[in-house]
Amino acid sequence: MNLFFLSLLIIFAGGLFAPLIRRQFFMMKIFSVFTIVAGCILGLVDAGSKLISPGEYVASFKYLKSFSLSFQIDGLSAFFLVTIFAISLLASIYSFHYMDKTDKALRTATNYLFFSLLIVSMALVVASKGMITFMLSWEIMSLSSFFLVIFNYEAIENRRAGYLYFVFSHVGAMFIFAGFGVAYAHTGSLGFGQMVSLPDTFKLIVFILFFIGFGSKAGVFPFHVWLPHAHPAAPSHISAVMSGVMIKVGIYGIIRMYVLLNYHSPVIGGIVLAAGCISGVLGVVYALGQHDLKRLLAYHSVENIGIILIGTGIGMIGVSSGNVPMAILGFSGGLLHVLNHAIFKSLLFMGAGMVLKKTGTRTIDILGGLIKKMKITGTTFLIGSLAISGLPPFNGFVSEFLIYIGGFKGVGLDRMTFAMSLIAIISLAVIGGLALACFTKVVGVVFQGEPRSAAAENVDEQGFSMLAPMLVLAGFCLIIGVYPKFFILMAMKGVSSLGLGYEWIQFEPIVRMTGNITRAAALFFAVVLFVLIIRALAYRGKSITRSGTWGCGFTQPTVKMQYTGSSYAASIIDFFRPFAPVHEDHPPIRGRMPRRKTHYHSHVNDIAELHQHNVIVRPVLFFFDKLRWMQHGDIHLYIGYILLAVIVVLFFV
Amino acid sequence: MKPIYIWCLAMLLAPFFSAIIIKVKAFFGGRKGSPFLINYYTLIKLFKKGSVYSTSTTIIFKLGPIISLSSAATALMFLPIAGIAPVFSFNGDVLFVLYLLGLGRFFTIAAAMDTASPFEGMGAAREAYFPIICEATMFMVLILFYKLTGELSLASYFSGNNPAILWNSAGSTMLFVVIALFIVLLTENSRVPVDDPATHLELTMIHEVMVLDHSGPDFGFIELASFCKLFFYSTIVSRLLFPLFFPFETLNPALEICSLICVYVAAGVTESVMARYRMDKVPKFILTSFALASFATVIIMEFIK
Repeated sequence: MNLFFLSLLIIFAGGLFAPLIRRQFFMMKIFSVFTIVAGCILGLVDAGSKLISPGEYVASFKYLKSFSLSFQIDGLSAFFLVTIFAISLLASIYSFHYMDKTDKALRTATNYLFFSLLIVSMALVVASKGMITFMLSWEIMSLSSFFLVIFNYEAIENRRAGYLYFVFSHVGAMFIFAGFGVAYAHTGSLGFGQMVSLPDTFKLIVFILFFIGFGSKAGVFPFHVWLPHAHPAAPSHISAVMSGVMIKVGIYGIIRMYVLLNYHSPVIGGIVLAAGCISGVLGVVYALGQHDLKRLLAYHSVENIGIILIGTGIGMIGVSSGNVPMAILGFSGGLLHVLNHAIFKSLLFMGAGMVLKKTGTRTIDILGGLIKKMKITGTTFLIGSLAISGLPPFNGFVSEFLIYIGGFKGVGLDRMTFAMSLIAIISLAVIGGLALACFTKVVGVVFQGEPRSAAAENVDEQGFSMLAPMLVLAGFCLIIGVYPKFFILMAMKGVSSLGLGYEWIQFEPIVRMTGNITRAAALFFAVVLFVLIIRALAYRGKSITRSGTWGCGFTQPTVKMQYTGSSYAASIIDFFRPFAPVHEDHPPIRGRMPRRKTHYHSHVNDIAELHQHNVIVRPVLFFFDKLRWMQHGDIHLYIGYILLAVIVVLFFV
Repeated sequence: MKPIYIWCLAMLLAPFFSAIIIKVKAFFGGRKGSPFLINYYTLIKLFKKGSVYSTSTTIIFKLGPIISLSSAATALMFLPIAGIAPVFSFNGDVLFVLYLLGLGRFFTIAAAMDTASPFEGMGAAREAYFPIICEATMFMVLILFYKLTGELSLASYFSGNNPAILWNSAGSTMLFVVIALFIVLLTENSRVPVDDPATHLELTMIHEVMVLDHSGPDFGFIELASFCKLFFYSTIVSRLLFPLFFPFETLNPALEICSLICVYVAAGVTESVMARYRMDKVPKFILTSFALASFATVIIMEFIK
């Protein structure tokens, strides 16, 4: 464990000293990035070795005399630690060229401080063993990421996004506290170990509380409302870490609490699966409707959290119905998707960051043709898009494949399991199709075609430190997609520490399955090579000319005539109208020769956001408005309140 | 080696079968129609030509035809044809094949978006939209097949007399599946009533408009890919329509060809007697296939406990 804490100390040092040496901007960046990277590498090596040879890694410290902070790293923690350190490592490299505003030295330094705190706290959350440790790390994680979100605090929407995130993370934390509170009231222990002894009904209540609490961090529909606001507000490397890793800590919480409660009721699996299906489908539908590149990616996080939950739910249902292969495939598919999503989502956010940095805009419909000037960004973004759409031979396919196979195992079982598996499989299929539509939109409108505005015209891509992480991540998308064996085994190591009683997990059939994926991908590559050779032969000595795009007879095309992202997605959004009402603002054109200019603005409403405002925010505001009289400004009466409170506490507690 | 020969033969014969549809349509129109080898002539003509590339396009535009042909050709490798085992088969290969066809679609769409043409964008949007419902149908059918066989590979559903086993255990509900798959065939291969491959107005096209800017051998690849894709879906439908093979192997290829011709003629007849649906009616038409597949699954649920 010493190595683990040492790596965290190094990472924290990288952030802590940044504000002190902020006057030397360049030196500060070099120092912070190198220290954080060094810490991450150390942590990665340590976590990797713990994942390969799982064992009892525990540590405990006394805190404030009466509490003890205890930590434990098992297979599941190690799997998440690997993801956390790997993505944070690349994100901090990326930040080197991304954070280049010399005039904002103090802010950049603070950013590094909170960034390092975020990494440390995430690592501590997944390593903690005990309620106090867990909540302490959890709160540090929420607060440090809050400060990272409001990096550009001048803009009102960023402050608003930060506030929304603050409220959500604390309401979520409240639910987790409530869950721990119920558990503590029954067991009288602050450790995790005694939670098994809760009665069954309480286990269900506690799990639901945890699910809401962790779900609001993970971005499960309908608790995802903060996510599409906070992710675009944060700097891109922070979005990459938040979307790629931080929300996964919520998933970790759900899986960990499931293990700790050891309550294998089909109800729990059903809840998780249903939430996964809804988040998955609606997340991608809302993503399709977005006009802001980073907001779109944020909604895709909701979708992918949905896929992870579908996998986890299938695993839980497999456990409750006693079908071991289904359980293992579901859980390992879900866990592998945690890693995969971390990889391609941070890749996509980094690509979006490059676009934002070079064009100064995140609006999809005014970009275009970027791949011609930004070859590496465009290509890696394309690879990320293929991976997130779950297409072979990229990594997204592998995890979805495992989840599918797990789901199909459930088809052969009893009626309830059959129905759930059916919903899961159909949802996954629909999600896959919608994600393909969404990413053809992004790639097609942002990176292909002709520039739609001046902002997209004169761009370039610079900054080795920004390009290298993208290349590495794109490489991993392909490696996991073609040769998934090692990574599936990694996920299965995580699953085997879930304590499901399957210590004898059979690796062999799954290893055979990965071999088949590799062979099928190789077959495909062979065919591609064959076609390439034929193409080369067919074009030998042929005349190749370049000319304008065929405009179907129209000779004066302008770039404004290109299909926009909004129109590309319109008909699909229309299909899901009840869940995604479109708000359009378009004054009609009058007269044969219209003089007045008109405009068109569309906005896809998120029903969760809409209803949360009507059902929760408004009544709460109304209620507290009625209690205004208590806050009258008379200091004497305020002291009276305190006195009253003290007396009440003395009597009743 | 036999599976590879059969695969090559399928690739070679796919253009011929597609010509049957043209012939049937000509028959209904009272015309003589183009010769059965028309598609070969077209391909040879295209391969002799050079290409014109739009100045807006990038390397993705050239990748489009390559990937879509490769994915369709690879998909055929997993399909048992004429009772002979596929080139490669494993448990779960259906998922791989369906997603591989998705990869082909991604690149076709990306190639269309690469040209900066509003018409191609419009076609691309439709191409992205309709197959979503098809995919749901396909997975519903897969659930049904899995329930019946406990397997997840094309070989286990369609090789030998296995389709007969499907019919035996599912009974007449299999008719629903056949119709659903036929609708998927029409949609995925841009046939009437979803898309009209012979239309002259770009605004109403789906597949044809997306490939407007391709020319020469590239366009030949795209044509070949669409023949292969049609062959893929037709083989599936034909195996379900004619589930039994003769006990002696030599006659099987003949039977396979006959049953394939039936499916292609059915597609041709559908095209001749129907008009293309209005665009907003198309999703409802495709949803019919999903509804049919769901019905079949629900009914099967009651029979097989």
